[in-house]
Amino acid sequence: MAESNQQGCLFVGEGVVLKGNFEVPDIASISGTVEGEITAKQVLIEATGVVRGKLTGESIDIRGEVVEYVSATRSLIIRSTGKVTGSINYSEIEIEKGGHLHGDLHNLNPHS
Amino acid sequence: MFSRKPNQASAEEEVLGTEAEEVVEQEVAPPVVTTSEQASSNGYYDNGSRSNISKPSIISEGFVFEGTITSAGVLNISGTVRGKITAKSVLVDASGQVDGELNSEQLVIKGQVKGDVICEDLNIGPLAHVDGNISYKYIHIQRGGKVAGKFIKS
Repeated sequence: MAESNQQGCLFVGEGVVLKGNFEVPDIASISGTVEGEITAKQVLIEATGVVRGKLTGESIDIRGEVVEYVSATRSLIIRSTGKVTGSINYSEIEIEKGGHLHGDLHNLNPHS
Repeated sequence: MFSRKPNQASAEEEVLGTEAEEVVEQEVAPPVVTTSEQASSNGYYDNGSRSNISKPSIISEGFVFEGTITSAGVLNISGTVRGKITAKSVLVDASGQVDGELNSEQLVIKGQVKGDVICEDLNIGPLAHVDGNISYKYIHIQRGGKVAGKFIKS
């Protein structure tokens, strides 16, 4: 996807453990473990990816696990292998069958 | 089970909360109960088999029901239900509205639901609005579905 232009992207490979706060201008693709905050335009949590902390972005696609907080200003997709625990903010949501959701769900623009 | 003239539906909508509505309600409540009894005595349900063996109970568009509905079979809601619903399988259609508690093994929501939901298999359609605490085993939310509240995976 972003292989041709990786400018502004963050890739966390499987087995990598990252701690801290990350501001990503474009795509954050997480296959490893991140503890802390991630803010990115587009976030992909791959099946092996785990995020413990705050996850903020325009479009968020979760195949792995996110614990604590997720906020997606445009779209949030939880795939069948995805697992989200904690507080969730979204404007458009999709959960595939098998996706796991445990926590509070808020719509950012409920009157649209 | 019970039939109703179509023009009666629009009349009902206009006289919501009036005496006319309550009269209709009383007439209709017993047949709904009968349906559920038939379903439980005649129908055998294996685990995992869809319960389309029995006829569904239907709350039609424009129809308002207040009270408790219990059914061992399928319930299709295109109208409005205020109260508690317990059924094996519930479909809240695009025009359907439920205010209150909803207990069902298989639940499909295409319309509006306000209240606590307990179910096993939950499918929320793209035009649905769901507001309340939801306890589920398997969930599927189609893109565009509006949901708010506490989600608990059981």
